[in-house]
Amino acid sequence: MGTFVQLLVNGLGKGAVYALLALGFVIIFKATEVVNFAHGSLVLVGGYVVFALKDTLGWVPAALLGIIGAALVALLVERVFLANARRADPNSLALLTIGLDVIITEEIVRRVGAAIPFIGDPYDAQPLQVAGITIFRTQAIALVVGAVLITAFLLAFRYSSWGVAMRAQAENKEAAALMGIRSSRVTATAWLVAGALAGVAVLFMATQDFSGAGLGRGTHAIALIAFPAAILGGLDSTAGAVVGGIVVGLTEALSAQYISFEFSKSAVFLVMLLVLVIRPSGLFGTKELSRV
Amino acid sequence: MILRRSVLAGALASTLVLAACGSTADSGAGGGTGAGGVKTDKGVTDSTITLGVMGDTSGVFKNLGAAINAGNQLWADDVNAAGGICGRQLKLEIVDHGYKADTAKTLYPQLEPKILGIVQLLGSPVLAALKQNLIDDNVTAAPASWSSQILNNPNIMMIGTTYDLEQVNGLAYLQQQGLIKDGDTIGAIYIDGEYGGNGLRGVQYYATKHNLKVQEAKTTSTDNDLTNIVTGLKGAGVKAIALTTTPGQTASALAANKALGLNVPVIGNNPTFDPALLKSPAAASLDKLYVAASSPPFSSKTPKAAQLATEYKAKYAGSPLNAGVDVGYVEGLVWQSVLTKACDNKDLSRAGVQTALKSLTSVKTDGLVAELDYSSPGSPPTRGVYIAKVDPAAEGGLTEVAPLFTAPEVADYKAPFQT
Amino acid sequence: MSDTITEAPPSVPRPVAAPKKRNWIKIAATVLLVLFLVALPILTGSQVAYLKVAQYILIGTVGGIGLTLLVGQAGQLSLAHPFFLLVGAVSYAVLAGDPAESPGLVGLGFPPLLAVIGAVVICGLVGLAFAPVAGRLRGIYLGVASLSLVFLGLWLGQSLELFTGGTSSGRPPPTFELFGFAFSTTTPAPTIAGVPIQKQQRLWYLFLVFALGAYFLARGAINSRIGRSWRAVRDNEAAATAMGVNVARVKAGAFTISSAFAGLAGVMTALWLDLVKPDENEFTGNYSLTVAIAFLAIVIIGGLGSVPGAVVGAIVVYGLQQFFLLGANQFGWFADAQFGGLSAVILSAFVYGAAVVLVVLFEPGGAAAIGRRLTSRFTPRKER
Repeated sequence: MGTFVQLLVNGLGKGAVYALLALGFVIIFKATEVVNFAHGSLVLVGGYVVFALKDTLGWVPAALLGIIGAALVALLVERVFLANARRADPNSLALLTIGLDVIITEEIVRRVGAAIPFIGDPYDAQPLQVAGITIFRTQAIALVVGAVLITAFLLAFRYSSWGVAMRAQAENKEAAALMGIRSSRVTATAWLVAGALAGVAVLFMATQDFSGAGLGRGTHAIALIAFPAAILGGLDSTAGAVVGGIVVGLTEALSAQYISFEFSKSAVFLVMLLVLVIRPSGLFGTKELSRV
Repeated sequence: MILRRSVLAGALASTLVLAACGSTADSGAGGGTGAGGVKTDKGVTDSTITLGVMGDTSGVFKNLGAAINAGNQLWADDVNAAGGICGRQLKLEIVDHGYKADTAKTLYPQLEPKILGIVQLLGSPVLAALKQNLIDDNVTAAPASWSSQILNNPNIMMIGTTYDLEQVNGLAYLQQQGLIKDGDTIGAIYIDGEYGGNGLRGVQYYATKHNLKVQEAKTTSTDNDLTNIVTGLKGAGVKAIALTTTPGQTASALAANKALGLNVPVIGNNPTFDPALLKSPAAASLDKLYVAASSPPFSSKTPKAAQLATEYKAKYAGSPLNAGVDVGYVEGLVWQSVLTKACDNKDLSRAGVQTALKSLTSVKTDGLVAELDYSSPGSPPTRGVYIAKVDPAAEGGLTEVAPLFTAPEVADYKAPFQT
Repeated sequence: MSDTITEAPPSVPRPVAAPKKRNWIKIAATVLLVLFLVALPILTGSQVAYLKVAQYILIGTVGGIGLTLLVGQAGQLSLAHPFFLLVGAVSYAVLAGDPAESPGLVGLGFPPLLAVIGAVVICGLVGLAFAPVAGRLRGIYLGVASLSLVFLGLWLGQSLELFTGGTSSGRPPPTFELFGFAFSTTTPAPTIAGVPIQKQQRLWYLFLVFALGAYFLARGAINSRIGRSWRAVRDNEAAATAMGVNVARVKAGAFTISSAFAGLAGVMTALWLDLVKPDENEFTGNYSLTVAIAFLAIVIIGGLGSVPGAVVGAIVVYGLQQFFLLGANQFGWFADAQFGGLSAVILSAFVYGAAVVLVVLFEPGGAAAIGRRLTSRFTPRKER
C-alpha cells in the first residue's frame, strides 16, 4: 500500500510538469495549427539562461530571466521563421520546427558541454516525509506552480480579450480576421506564452528530483514524453493537456512498478495509441469533420 | 531531369576526387622484414610503431574518454622518452567516434591500414560492430569495456577484472563487512546491454552462492530517474542494491535511497561513479556507495597511480579528474609488455602480436591492476578488484577501503566463454 | 512534364514524372552516372572508408524513397521508419541465420536472397498490420502515433533476445550470398583495374542494385494508377472516395509499401554494420528517434514525394556527417572539437537542420523543385 501511494505521489508530481509542457504545445496549436517540434529546444534555452546567470545574479533573477529568455526565443522563432513562411501550410511549418529544433538543441548542448548542470537549487533534493510517504519538494512546488499557472491561463483564455481573440482564431481564421482580430498578434502572443511555460517547466525538469539529470539532451527528451500528453488529451484542448499530463505521469510510475521499468516508456505511448484508436482526436480534442 | 542527375553525379564526383587526392602513401604497407631483423606488416616502420585509439571525446562518455586518451598519451610519451620499443618510437592515431557504432564503422577502414593494433577501443556498441573487422584484419585491441561477454573474440586484450567479477567481489566485501547476510533480498539495477548484463551475471552468481533473493530492474542508459525503481525495491525490503549503471543513474538511485528513507548500502561497478556527481544535488546521498573497480581510484596511494595523478594534472590542467587516466596508462603498459615480447620474438606483425599476447602469463603493471594472465583466452586475465568508498574530501571523490581485494567466491566463477 | 491529374496544394510539390520524349543528352547523362557509380570502387581504391560512406548514403536513399512515397505521395506523416528498419534487419538475421553458428538464437537457415525477400515481405506485412491504426488518424496525430512504434521496437528488441540477440552483443547477420558467390572477403579476389573486389566493393554493388531497384520501382509506382490513387487520397479524401477510390485500402497499401522499403534499408544496415543489434536507448543507435528525424529530414530536403529528391536528401543527411568525420581525421578539420568546439557531428547537424528550415521557407519543393527549375532553364520546353 505504501508503495502504491508513493508511486501515485511520484506520478502526480511528474504529471504536473508534463501538463505545463503539453499546454505549450496546445496553445501554439490552437493559435496556428502548427505542432511545435521545437518545444524541447525552448526548454533548453530557458534552462541554459538560468545555468549561465545563476552564479552571478542569484537563482531568482536567473530563473526569471530564463523564463523571459525562453519566451523571447519562442517569439523570435515565430516572427523570423514562421511568420515569413506564408506559403507553407501548418504541416510544413511543423517540419520547419524540426529543423530549428535540431540546430538549437545541438548549440545549447554544445554550450553546456560536460557540465550537465542542475538548476533547481532552492528546492532540489530536499524531500519531505509525510506519514511515511516521501514528497519530493521539486514535484510539490511544480504541482502548485502548475496549478496556479494553468488556472490563470484557463481564466485568461476564457475572459481576456486575447483569450477571446485566440479562441475566435482557432474557430475560424477568416471570420476572426474579418471581425478585426489581428491574427499576427494572437499568434505571436501564443508563442510567447508557450515559450514562457517551457521556461517555467525547465526549472523543475533539470533537477535531481524530477529527471535525475541536469540540463542536457535528456531534458530535451522529456519534452518528447510530453508529446503523448498533448496528443492524448487532444491537441486543441487546454483541459486535455492537463489531463494528458497527469495520465502520462501516472502511467509511467505505475507501469514501472507493476509491469516493468523498461516497459514504462512504451506504456506511455501505447496508452496514447489506444486512446487515439478509440478517439482519433484525443480525449478532449475537437473531432475533425470532412466536408465535401 | 538531365541536370538533376548530372548535378548529383557532380556532387558525388567531387566527393571522390577529394577522396582520391587524399589517398596518401600509407596504402603500401606490405609485409617484410625491417630494422633489427624484425618481421613487420602493418603499422610498423623502421622508426615508428603506430597504434590506434578509438575513443569518445564528444559522446556520452566524453569525460571518462578524455582522461583515458590522456592516459594513453602519457604512456606513449613515457615510452618514447625512454627510447621507444624495439628501437622504434610510438605514435598514436587518435579518432573520436562519439560512442556511435555507425561512425566507428566508417572510421575504422580509414584507421586500420595505418596501425598495428588498438590501444584503446571504447564503447560496447562500437566493439560489437567492429568485432568481425578485428578478427578479419587480425587487429588486437584493448577494450575500454570490461565485459567478460566479449572474451569470445580472440583479438580482444582484456585489461583487468570484468564487470561480473567486480560485482562478485563487491557483494562479498559487503557481506564481510556485515552489511548483508545469507538469505537477504537485494536489488540489482542494470543497463540493458553488454555492460549491465555482465554485471548482473556476477550478482546472480553471488546470489546463488549465498541464497540471496535478487529484485532485478532493467533500464536503458537514458533513463536518469530511478525513483520509481527504488520505490519498488523499498517495497520489496531490499538490504542492499547492486548497480551496473551510468553515473547519472547512480546519483538518482542513491538520492532516492536516501529520500525514500531506504538507506541501504549500494555497490557499483567501476563506471557507476564519476567525481562530477559530488557537485550534483545528490552529493549528500552518495556516502552509501561502494565502488568495485579493476583499477585504483584517482586518489589511490599506489605509488604509480599517485605519480600519474600528478603528471595528469600538470599536463592536462582543467581536464576532468577521474580514474580514466589510470585506465589509459595501464592499457599502454600491457601493450608495452606485448610489444616487448613480440620484439624479442623478432615478429612485430599483427600475427606476432597475437602470439606474444597468448604467451604472457604474468604481466605486471606497477600495481595499477592485478597481475594479468593471458594464457587462457575466454577467462578474465585477473580476478581482483580495488574497493573504494565515496569520499568528498578525496581527490577524484573516492577513498580506497580495500586495495586488491579478491573474494574466495571468484575462484569458482566461470566466465561465459571460459573453457 | 507531369501526368498527375490532381492539383497539388502549394506546399506539396507535384511529383515528377519522366518526360515522355527521350533525348540524347538525358540518356548520355544517365549512362555517365551509372558508369560513375559502377566505377566507384575503383575510384576510391584503397580508401575503403569513402566507399563505406557511399554505401551508407544508399541505405539512406532506399529508406528515404520509402518514406517520401508515404509522406509525400500518400500524405501520411510517419516517424516509424526506424522500427521497420529494425524489423527488416532482425528478420533477415532470423531467416538466413544458421542455428549452428549462433547457438541459442532462432535461425531458419534460408538462402540469403530468400531471406532478403522474406524480410522485405515481413516488413510490408507489419506495416499492413499498423494500417488500421494509421487509417484512423491524420496528419500530426498519425506522426506521433507512429512514434510509439519506435518505442515498441526498443522494448521488443530488448525483450525478444531469441530473435534479436539482445542489446549486449546482438547477432551477426549471415553473409549475403548469391548462387554461391559470397559478399565477403576471399582469396584470391577478382580485381578490376588493379583494385581487388573484396567484401566492401561487393557490398557496394549489391547496395547499388538494391538502390536502383528501389528507385525504379518507386518511380514506376508513382507514374501508375497506384500513384494517382495515393495523390487523390492525399489531396482530398472525400473527393477520392467520390471518384471510387477505396481510401482505407489505398492508405494501407502506401503504409505497406513504404514499410517494405524501410525493411530493405534495414537489411542493408545489418550488412553494412556486420551486426544486428537492437539499440540500447531510444536516442542513439541505428533504429532510434534520431533516425526517425533524419529520415524525415531526407524527405523534406529532397522535396516531399520526389524520388530523385530522396537521393539528394540522403546525400545531405546520411553522407555529410560521415564525410566530415573522415575529413576531420584525414585533413585535421575541427581540431578544437573536444569540449565545446565545433565537431563534425555538430556541424553536420547544423547543416541538415538549416537545410530543412531553408527548404520550408524558400523552396517547399525541396531539392526536386530546384532541380526541376534548373532543368527547365537548360532544356527547350517541349510540353506545357
